[in-house]
Amino acid sequence: MAKEKLVVIGGDAAGMSAASQARRLRADLAITAFEKSPHTSYAA
Amino acid sequence: MKPLIAATPEEFREKRGIDARVLHEVLEVDLKARRVLVRRLDDSTEFREAFDCLVIATGAVPIVPNVPGADAGGIYNLSSLETGLTVRKAVDEEKPETAVIVGGGYIGLEMAEALVMRGLKVSLVERADQVMGTLDPDMGELVSRALIKIGVSLYRGESLTGFETDSGKVRAVVTDKRTIPADIVIMGLGVRPNSALAEKAGVPLGVRGSIKVNERMQTAVEAVWAAGDCVESFHHVSRRPVNIALGTHANKQGRVAGINIGGGYATFPGVVGTAASKICALEVARTGLQEREIKELGLEYVAGKIESSTRAWYYPNAGRITVKILAEKGCGRLLGGQIVGIEGAAKRIDVIAASLHAGFTVQDMINLDLSYAPPFSPVWDPVLIAARKALEMI
Repeated sequence: MAKEKLVVIGGDAAGMSAASQARRLRADLAITAFEKSPHTSYAA
Repeated sequence: MKPLIAATPEEFREKRGIDARVLHEVLEVDLKARRVLVRRLDDSTEFREAFDCLVIATGAVPIVPNVPGADAGGIYNLSSLETGLTVRKAVDEEKPETAVIVGGGYIGLEMAEALVMRGLKVSLVERADQVMGTLDPDMGELVSRALIKIGVSLYRGESLTGFETDSGKVRAVVTDKRTIPADIVIMGLGVRPNSALAEKAGVPLGVRGSIKVNERMQTAVEAVWAAGDCVESFHHVSRRPVNIALGTHANKQGRVAGINIGGGYATFPGVVGTAASKICALEVARTGLQEREIKELGLEYVAGKIESSTRAWYYPNAGRITVKILAEKGCGRLLGGQIVGIEGAAKRIDVIAASLHAGFTVQDMINLDLSYAPPFSPVWDPVLIAARKALEMI
């Protein structure tokens, strides 16, 4: 069976925090984050 | 710029096992088929990606005025690291001499400081009669004075009507009262939730077009979560839904969504509207409701406003701090606070913010056992002096 998949739309503070926390708790989850700008998670 | 990036896509991929793809725009969310349509911005190809679980963290977009010339070159809508870099490059390479900032909020004021420091002649146009609309007018006035002191030409109570352009490049900002020459223009009219994608997909929206979520950051759609500037939050003081775009909320909401997705349990109970900023030497902070919002709720209130010192008055580098505490008349419930002052002033807002979360009265605040030593504060902290002043009027 394919891995369960999480898709995140938006790679800044909220999106990448969600992705990172989900990863900590679920090693088996496939996680993809899409960000339209050239940068992820900047210190705004 | 590197220090501004919390983590790069490579770090997310290699250290956290997260496939972070930049320059990828999601065009469409299909909630029935549970997949998204994605465009690679470097080669414009498109593909579909299936999901079991989705997080919508699309942030906010700048409010752009619908006036003639708004698409001319040299006009920047500041909203992202990318646009910030573009402005810096333009200042470095084109060496503009005059800048006009439209909007006197956090972005406008911070840009005013930055451009004054770069040696530009800076003007700021604000539609309201005061800058920093999240403060009461009397506290906003202190900020206006600071702006004028650093050399900013301030035009309050003036509305933008358009731009003069020459061969597609901006030459001046036109208001209902004057024309101000501008080599570059910074638009800081605020932001609105970037919820178009969610709305089109059928995810229910709430206040100001932000995405409705519960305390666990779940939208009304099964296995679809949302976090950050695009969502609605609960305001603890007004007890109403609000949409406030702040990085602190975005981080916390993202964390909560991620824990819940991972099978844990976490909540984001709400906000009190705490924010801080700095304009050269002046620190500015606010929390809770301001007078206008209190009036809108139909509450009777008192305002305790005092001037004090950031440290013991005799201590080196002590300086002025103005604190205003708003409380409900009769019961004395704390409703909000605002602070303007020199270094050491702004972070005192956190005592007021914590008191709001606790549902304190001004008397509860006065009972707080706060730290004191001459390098840090007078014996009575300025926040507590303001609370005493408010108590006298309750």
